[in-house]
Amino acid sequence: ENIIGVAPQDEEYYKGLSSSGTIKCKDGSKTFTKTQLNDDFCDCSDGTDEPGTSACPTGKFYCRNAGHTPLSIFSSRVNDGICDCCDGSDEYNGKIKCKNTCWEAGKVARDRLRKKIETFQEGVTIRKHDVEQAKLLVAKDEAELSRLKNEENILKGLVQQLKERKEQIEKAEEKERIQKEKEEKQKKEAEEATVKEQKGEEKVNVQEQESKGSNSEDDGKIHDHPPLGQDLNKGPADPGVSLAHDDDDDDDDDDDKDASVDNIEQHAEKNEESSKVAHEHDPSPGPGSKEEDASENAESLSREELGRAIGSRWTGKKAEQQQDEDAGTARNNDDNEDDETSDNAHEEEDSGYDTETEEDHQHHEEDDTEDHMDDVGGDEADDDSSEHKYESDDEMDMSDMEDTSNPSWLVKIQQTVRKFLQAVNPFQTPVDTSESESVRKEYDDASGKLSKIQSRISSLTKKLGHDFGSEKEFYSLYGRCFEIKENKYVYKVCPFKEASQVEGHSTTHLGHWDKFDESYRVMLFSSGDKCWNGPYRSLTVRLRCGSKVEVSDIDEPSRCEYAALLTTPALCLEGRLKSHDHHGKGTRR
Amino acid sequence: WKKEEFRNCNQTPFCKRARSRKPQHCNLIATDVIIADGDLTAKLITPKENPHEEDSSSNPLILSLSVYENGILRMKIDEDPSQNPPKKRFEVPDVIVPEFESKKLWLQRYTKQVIHGDSADSFVVYLFDGYEAVLRSDPLEVFVREQTSGKRVLSFNSHGLFDFEQLRVKKEGDDWEERFRSHTDSRPYGPQSISFDMSFYGADFVYGIPEHATSLTLKPTKGPGIEESEPYRLFNLDVFEYIHESPFGLYGSIPFMLSHGRTRGTSGFFWLNAAEMQIDVLGSGWDAESSIMLPSDQNRIDTLWMSEAGIVDTFFFIGPKPKDVVKQYASVTGTSAMPQLFATGYHQCRWNYRDEEDVKNVDSKFDEHDIPYDVLWLDIEHTDGKRYFTWDKVLFPNPEEMQKDLASRGRRMVTIVDPHIKRDENYHIHKEASKNGYYVKDASGKDYDGWCWPGSSSYIDMVNPEIRSWWADKFAYTQYLGSTPSLYIWNDMNEPSVFNGPEVTMPRDALHYGNIEHRELHNAYGYYFHMATSDGLLKREGGNDRPFVLSRAFFPGTQRYGTVWTGDNTATWEQLRVSVPMILTLGLTGITFSGADVGGFFGNPDTELLVRWYQVAAYLPFFRGHAHHDTKRREPWLFGEHNTELMRDAIRVRYTLLPYFYTLFREANVSGVPVTRPLWMEFPDDEATFNNDEAFMVGNGLLVQGVYTEHAKDATVYLPKDHTWYDLRSGTAYKGGKMQKIEASDAIPVFQRSGTIIPRKDRFRRSTVQMENDPYTLVIAVNSLGEAEGELYIDDGKSYEFKKGAYIHRRFIFSDGKLTSVNLATSASEGTNFLSDCTIERIILLGHSSKPKSAQIEPSNHAAEVELGPLQIQSGARSSVLTIRKPNVRVSDDWSIKLL
Repeated sequence: ENIIGVAPQDEEYYKGLSSSGTIKCKDGSKTFTKTQLNDDFCDCSDGTDEPGTSACPTGKFYCRNAGHTPLSIFSSRVNDGICDCCDGSDEYNGKIKCKNTCWEAGKVARDRLRKKIETFQEGVTIRKHDVEQAKLLVAKDEAELSRLKNEENILKGLVQQLKERKEQIEKAEEKERIQKEKEEKQKKEAEEATVKEQKGEEKVNVQEQESKGSNSEDDGKIHDHPPLGQDLNKGPADPGVSLAHDDDDDDDDDDDKDASVDNIEQHAEKNEESSKVAHEHDPSPGPGSKEEDASENAESLSREELGRAIGSRWTGKKAEQQQDEDAGTARNNDDNEDDETSDNAHEEEDSGYDTETEEDHQHHEEDDTEDHMDDVGGDEADDDSSEHKYESDDEMDMSDMEDTSNPSWLVKIQQTVRKFLQAVNPFQTPVDTSESESVRKEYDDASGKLSKIQSRISSLTKKLGHDFGSEKEFYSLYGRCFEIKENKYVYKVCPFKEASQVEGHSTTHLGHWDKFDESYRVMLFSSGDKCWNGPYRSLTVRLRCGSKVEVSDIDEPSRCEYAALLTTPALCLEGRLKSHDHHGKGTRR
Repeated sequence: WKKEEFRNCNQTPFCKRARSRKPQHCNLIATDVIIADGDLTAKLITPKENPHEEDSSSNPLILSLSVYENGILRMKIDEDPSQNPPKKRFEVPDVIVPEFESKKLWLQRYTKQVIHGDSADSFVVYLFDGYEAVLRSDPLEVFVREQTSGKRVLSFNSHGLFDFEQLRVKKEGDDWEERFRSHTDSRPYGPQSISFDMSFYGADFVYGIPEHATSLTLKPTKGPGIEESEPYRLFNLDVFEYIHESPFGLYGSIPFMLSHGRTRGTSGFFWLNAAEMQIDVLGSGWDAESSIMLPSDQNRIDTLWMSEAGIVDTFFFIGPKPKDVVKQYASVTGTSAMPQLFATGYHQCRWNYRDEEDVKNVDSKFDEHDIPYDVLWLDIEHTDGKRYFTWDKVLFPNPEEMQKDLASRGRRMVTIVDPHIKRDENYHIHKEASKNGYYVKDASGKDYDGWCWPGSSSYIDMVNPEIRSWWADKFAYTQYLGSTPSLYIWNDMNEPSVFNGPEVTMPRDALHYGNIEHRELHNAYGYYFHMATSDGLLKREGGNDRPFVLSRAFFPGTQRYGTVWTGDNTATWEQLRVSVPMILTLGLTGITFSGADVGGFFGNPDTELLVRWYQVAAYLPFFRGHAHHDTKRREPWLFGEHNTELMRDAIRVRYTLLPYFYTLFREANVSGVPVTRPLWMEFPDDEATFNNDEAFMVGNGLLVQGVYTEHAKDATVYLPKDHTWYDLRSGTAYKGGKMQKIEASDAIPVFQRSGTIIPRKDRFRRSTVQMENDPYTLVIAVNSLGEAEGELYIDDGKSYEFKKGAYIHRRFIFSDGKLTSVNLATSASEGTNFLSDCTIERIILLGHSSKPKSAQIEPSNHAAEVELGPLQIQSGARSSVLTIRKPNVRVSDDWSIKLL
């Protein structure tokens, strides 16, 4: 017969109870008899004798859950008035009746499992394809790289030759020019003699003026009190700068804390004050007096400003931002003001968001030839998540070299150069201007091409330097971004590049690509924008098998430490599919 | 901490004046001494050189002495109403329990006596068996003395520092304004402070007067050889990042001081006054220059009490045992409310659990890691723009479902409700409050407008009972939309905290109902708010669900309305360390249900600190993890398997001991004796315990020694003398009376005292709700006579039926190898019996000399096996203690178990 709470595979262990009368606890601590089995008294401290009751706190209870998956639950759940097993077997003392929901739950679970397996299977196929593709593409990249390196070598030589020729021509030209000048000089010698004195005087005047100007500039920098009207924000005592320094060492030391609190207040206050200066041309006190505490200077603060400044100690928010929040415009977005931009607090956010605009331009529909993954990741059923491609450096305009696999342009250029070298005689005088022009043009073209090739080489080298996984299964994620909309934010995850949070026109960088972790189960993005009074932002992306690449479940479990989930075929490993399959069949049986 | 933001004594004129007075400053004498209405009354007058001089400050004061049951002397001094003072001075209402008046002993007569060759008579009245109260008329002194020896116990004005600034009508040229930083206090009534000296005789140490982040014993603040410090300040303030070892005032105030000494025992002194107070503990020899003659054969600690306003309404408690004093104090201000069982479990809080999904995740992680907890908390961000009683619609779209889901696993939720009301015309609370004139007014009579979380805010005037009743109604389910019966409340910021006010609080010249100035009731503001909220929870369930309301501000009487915590502490070892004396002090002064944020509110605790904090806090009355929103997540499962295990163990130990804790909460509810106690409360004759505040007692049975340093492998513990102490985990016996070094790497040292019986429930569940029917374990630690005693109190854990007798209260007595369960409950009225099927599944015997094989149970007349078993059931536990296996007697029955 079955022993309540014991898994079928464990029943063997209890056989001894009927034959010998006593058996040992699994941890060997004691022996117990059949009457002690499930008698609601804990004899074995590991719970061996009480698999079916709550008497042993460290025990486990096994529910068979026919129709669904068996489950092992903590002993503390047995007869606790809550139905934990779908077959209700954990609640048998009559205090509560549990419906058997295993069939329904099992059906749902089986459907889900079937879907999961399908996804897995699909994912495995895609992954295989990806891996093959990646091999090809990496090989292609590597081939391109080696070809480019080769071309670079040749081109370098040509450019060098052209450069030499160009210099020879220029030398000749220079010679010609000097000759000409000499002649002209002789002509004008007589005139020069007469105007010499006048010119000399002028020169002295100019020099005088120049030296005066630079002196006054120095004055401004050295003196403590900037002249009236000079923008205080640019002064050396800029609050943003000092804040940035203090925040760097954010340890638990009390003194440091006090110091940083001081700074918070100073910061808030200084912002207030300097904006006042800027707007009202109020002759403000010198920088020394600004070292005081926010509320010290309470008279200069309005009641509201004081309230905000004090309140901001707890919230870690700056006063103005709290105001934004009150107006209902932004939630928790104080963080936009990272230290890098606080230098220009009054220059608006624009400066901080240059990258964003740039990026916006860079976003364009992926071109279909790029890769097969579009078929998988492309059907965007989910409104909230989407994908974009970022233009990585390797996708720069190489059109003038057109089909880079065809070396004809190189041959052509080589021929042209050879022609030049033969045709152009650098020692001929006067220099043939049309010839010298073409040499120059040819040199510019060739060196332009060379630098393009070089930058392509560097971006390819960088790309190939990335860790794309043991089978390069993550290669296809390179150069792509995945987005998800969560409330009013759009989160962008660009593997191998960066991650960001976008709200309207403001972008907060959650991190730069760092590395894979936990044997390719996690992507780490770190060193994002610094949190005000907190750490640098970071994002941890957990990876799951899926047929599509999609980001989901973005979250901020601790302040400025983000977490997200990304499904990708790269995680669909055949081995794991087999275990799923097995499990599925097991349940159906 | 911003020291300069808060006034020190020198910046506080009344304090500066009082502190600079010299002994024998007071020239008042008592005249017209009579007995009237059961009180001894007198007029206090200044003997005039020129009787024609018109000076209101020399109007006579009225002094009255009343005597109450069990050794309490009450002394009041106020202006004489028949002299028509400009304003009636504020007497704090609703603090003294109504029953107290019925304990008054009506004085019939006094005897006269001449003391120390005084020129005038002294008047002596009966106080308590062996104690008398004495009014000495010239020089003025009021003291309590032992009848036979004549030794003083407590005395008022023995150094002549009494000063009472009477209200005056403002005359031309009077400049009463006071300025502090950018704030101006108009002080329309001018100086009105009171100060006096108070002496505790036979005292080795003084304790009490929370809230300060300092040691349990109050260090002297003034005197020869003492580094002069600020006086202990009692002024409720929201202090950002408060520091330890500071006499500055924190969130709450209780002007109640206790003294204890080996020879005399314990005394207490309580001044019911809600204005700012400053108290100096004077080091011996401070009065060396004065010519005062006081008995020198008794140790004495002198103190100086100073208050900005109010009247003298004071209580002298004669003790003489520590528990007598706390009981005497409780008879004036009430005992602590009986908490619901769930509130004694573990609470999980954070600023903020962001949204419903976050709540769900955190809740399910507790189950995943098999860690019990009872309450999940939501801080200010759950509201719609800091409008209390509302929900953020995006983050918490379905609050009722969320609470019901938690409740389905026996868990409660707590939301925050603060007293600052957002000034928003569309906010219903603001609309009603401004329309009805329910806000505190500024000095000009307009609604006071201050700044707090929501921005521009006004503050409900909680001193008015009508307004409190209106506020209480806001907690009805139909008013607080989205609330359910499993939702309870947290009152924060009720000092009140005002970000742009003087010292981050309300201006002293703000006006309350009845023309009370804020300066007069400041320290009680949060108390009235707490009271109104608690009444709200009572009302919403028709008065039969015990409220749970956590408050940051407190005042005498707070214990009747709920729980307090020590506010915004910091994640440092020092703050873990200081949390223990802070909580013990609260317990001594009536508020036993208190705790500190586990892990420290500000900053990120090291993992080791966090683990130690759980281990200590698990034995303190209110057990809640909380953290600032800038900190990293720190739920117990985030620090690796080993640390999860240590924190789980700490929480589980708390849950296994809940039957003991609940019994102690009941004891506190009945008598006023706190759940956690300084060692000297249990061992008043053991001098080594008097200033020990790193260890504490839970009840009379458990001694807990915290670990407050990094990398500690062991801890040194003082175990009080004349007892044997049993290690809670190993059962190892230690002799008391010396220091013991105890291994402490995985848990802090905890001991059961010999002679006690502690009830446990060894099956931990998801929450207290599922533990209801689980069987008990009794742990008996016998003393040298082979005896032990303990109690168990059980009721339904939530309602007030226990007041009608619906509870089980047993005393377990072990003697002569026989354990007997005796009923302590008074017989319940018909139909209100509390029934329980719970049994005792295991009885553990520590220190028993013989090796019995079985036990005989009566009256059922059956036998139970006796064997060796583990002390705590956990994997790999050694079976080493004598265990009665499955006696299975019911806790509600009378029975006995005899070892054979």
